[in-house]
Amino acid sequence: MKILAVTACTAGIAHTYIAKEKLENAARELGDTIKVETQGSIGVENELTLEEIREADVVLISADIRVNKERFKGKPLVDIPISMVMKSPKGVLGKIHEKLEKQE
Amino acid sequence: MAVEEILDRRAIDLNMEARDKDQVIRHLAGLLDSAGYIKDLEGYIEDVYVREKEGITGIGGHVAIPHGKSDAVGKVGIAVGRTREMVPWESYDGEPSRLFFLFAVPSGGEGGKDHLRLIAELAGKLGRDKTMDRLQTAETYEDLLEAFL
Repeated sequence: MKILAVTACTAGIAHTYIAKEKLENAARELGDTIKVETQGSIGVENELTLEEIREADVVLISADIRVNKERFKGKPLVDIPISMVMKSPKGVLGKIHEKLEKQE
Repeated sequence: MAVEEILDRRAIDLNMEARDKDQVIRHLAGLLDSAGYIKDLEGYIEDVYVREKEGITGIGGHVAIPHGKSDAVGKVGIAVGRTREMVPWESYDGEPSRLFFLFAVPSGGEGGKDHLRLIAELAGKLGRDKTMDRLQTAETYEDLLEAFL
């Protein structure tokens, strides 16, 4: 599965970056490809491109602040608080697998 | 990344006496203050508590990362502390904590982008099982650096 994700936390100092790492590791274990954009204190990093968005199977927003979803219009989108990724990154990706496979 | 650039020996105490959350935060904030990172200690501590109220900072694996983005911070810094006994702390895995990273970030966010990046990188590594495992047994400053390699 091709996953795109955005992480963002209230202070933008730590959780944003921990969540990115956790998602990347979980995706690797599950055999998914993932790219994670961080919106934190140093601004937007690892920004998702329009082409990547076009090709993605799903977009996962894991944030405690508002993230602009405009550019993801028409894509399957999952929007959850960052705590869920902090708690159980593999559980989150597993759920997404289940959901998407059911739709097919 | 140069972890030693952001992990200041003067702000690290791996033999902390603290028994509760307030003692942990006060002790580590005091270390940052003595090392010259903080302009107004009480103001900073207040802002750390503001963040504590917003959500959980115990990231699991007996590690907690309280932090404050505050006008009371002079420059970006991290204090690290470890207690012998577990300290009650709200966490994602429901476990108490004994290793603490207290982050201090000036509210403007200016004048320290390189250091903010180091903090982000260090935080990212806390999302790796390997780093977390190594941290459990880190006894010295050198162990700490090694855990983040």
